[in-house]
Amino acid sequence: MEIFPALLSVITDPVLLGAILLAAIVGMIVGATPGLTASAAIAMLLPITFHMPPLFALAFLYVIGKSGRYGGSIAAILFNTPGTAASAATQIDGYPLARAGKAGKAMKVATISSVIGDFMGDIMLVIGVGFIAALALKLGPPEIFAVYFAAFVVIGSVIGNSVLKGLASALLGIIIAMIGIDPISGEERYTFGMFELSNGIGLVPLMIGVFVLGEVFAQMEERRNHPAKIKSNETTDPDGNQLSWQEYKPCLPHALRGGVIGAAIGVLPGLGSAIAAFISYGEGKRRAKDPEQWGKGKLEGVAAPEAANNAVSGPSMAPLLTLGIPGSTIGAILLGVFLIHGIQVGPTLFLTDKELVYQLFACGILGIFAYGLIGYFGATRVSRIILKIPTQVLYPLIFLTAFIAAFSARGSLFDVTVMTCAGFAGWLMRKYEFNVAAFVISFVLAKGAEETFRQAMLMSKDGAMIFIERPIALAFLILGIAAIALRVRSIMKQRRKAQGALADA
Amino acid sequence: MAIRNISEALVLALLSTVAIWGALQVPEASPGETWAGIVPFGAALALGAIAVISLLGALRRANTAGDTPSTGNRGARDVIILFIIAVLYQQSFSWFGYLLPTAIVAPVALYMFGVRSPLGLALSVVLCPLAFHVIFFMLLGVYPPYGEVFDLNEFIQG
Repeated sequence: MEIFPALLSVITDPVLLGAILLAAIVGMIVGATPGLTASAAIAMLLPITFHMPPLFALAFLYVIGKSGRYGGSIAAILFNTPGTAASAATQIDGYPLARAGKAGKAMKVATISSVIGDFMGDIMLVIGVGFIAALALKLGPPEIFAVYFAAFVVIGSVIGNSVLKGLASALLGIIIAMIGIDPISGEERYTFGMFELSNGIGLVPLMIGVFVLGEVFAQMEERRNHPAKIKSNETTDPDGNQLSWQEYKPCLPHALRGGVIGAAIGVLPGLGSAIAAFISYGEGKRRAKDPEQWGKGKLEGVAAPEAANNAVSGPSMAPLLTLGIPGSTIGAILLGVFLIHGIQVGPTLFLTDKELVYQLFACGILGIFAYGLIGYFGATRVSRIILKIPTQVLYPLIFLTAFIAAFSARGSLFDVTVMTCAGFAGWLMRKYEFNVAAFVISFVLAKGAEETFRQAMLMSKDGAMIFIERPIALAFLILGIAAIALRVRSIMKQRRKAQGALADA
Repeated sequence: MAIRNISEALVLALLSTVAIWGALQVPEASPGETWAGIVPFGAALALGAIAVISLLGALRRANTAGDTPSTGNRGARDVIILFIIAVLYQQSFSWFGYLLPTAIVAPVALYMFGVRSPLGLALSVVLCPLAFHVIFFMLLGVYPPYGEVFDLNEFIQG
């Protein structure tokens, strides 16, 4: 049980503890601020972490991600504006509770359930990750490429509303990642004679552009097109009331079930916390004695999605650490941090940097307690801070920070140009409902996928048949194709239902 | 909506064509190696296939459904203005260093987001470049971009 010495080493490091606490606060504020996301905050802070030791940098950003997921519930409950996509499920019952003057109660339920879910997810991660890594070590290039293929397809087709746009976004991410000198043959690709492009497109400026500048552009458009929709953060009294054990008791089974659902979904790349939260909410409502009351302000309706939302966090690290496949945008950014600090992610990570991995898990567990305590006793104070943030000042400052953050990464003005273009592209993708997450995750995965694909082709005597001849590889290819087929089927079903309803009307 | 769907499909087709052409510029592989253009070519081809499917779908929907008139979009216009400012801002780093462009762009960005206080805008001219300079170039030790035409940082430091 490597986690216990890791916990001990983290607890005895006051500087690291301070960073975890700070990250918990930052994540909560960012997650709770409508329009800001934990991904944007992490991307923006990424260059600052270059100057930190690897564990410090990873723990800081990892805990911001965890706390940011939880922080989304504060905005959902108080402002009726989910801070994160996953918090939209919390909003269904959270906001009616706030309108009934029970905002404090709802936020306490969200905090306890988030802590339960997150803790369950982390325990599953700690227990299961070594096993997955041992399995991953036995996979050869054809199998790993098939896993990459399944990840591309699942990420492209499952996230978002359109399968075609999702897949197109993933393919665009792959094409952009191919810019530069091919590391195997040394040939230039997509450089069009430009020297700056021969080094490829940097991960950090691309992420800052897509997540930070793209978001600033999107906010600018939103403010102009829907000025009435910009809330001046007026809301019900956040002071709410105390939560008793009798009140939380019926929520506990929903939180535990949500934890299991979230943890199971978290292991699968690309599905993410929004899906987990909605499945958990749906399952909770299905099993409830009074399902008709859900949506009108039930505390259980807050507990179920919040636990699932946060339970995704830990297990989503498993494919990242064992296979180098990030399951979420935060995972993709963390992969960048590993690479920047010269740490190779994949099954060998558990041979070369096992101590670091478990220390990171320990930081995550302590981060849960940090945001749990701050949230339980201080969520109302956090909401007061957010009420005071003038968004017309916040976004211009974020705009300016994006440029200097992109420059700081490598001291390159070309990176700033990349960031600016990526920001505009990110805004266009959001505007036309392409899938930004699939684009970025595919960009990160593409190099690894290409390497394993070409290694597999060199191993093969029958060309691409190697992927069909090896059963594990074939299973993952079928999984990818099945994911598309199921998604298309579900969209067609929804469309038929909608057409039927229209005809009835 | 139909025009938008068709336009999206055409843009994808254009991107795919450029990507296929770019991949075909990659020289052939040496014996015993795989072609360096295989993955970009495959991805570009798949993107082309998606563009064709999207276009066919958009044309089919255009024949069956009427088009709704588009509403004006002031937000997009403002985003494009902000993007142009962003391009000029990042480009001016190499001409004027970091401080001067930031001192000019900070109040412009604040104004675009709705800040109208003259004092606030005036303060941003000094405080924004100062704060970013202290945090990134002094505390984090990043080397600031040098302005080839005029560098305020160099001028201040003599």
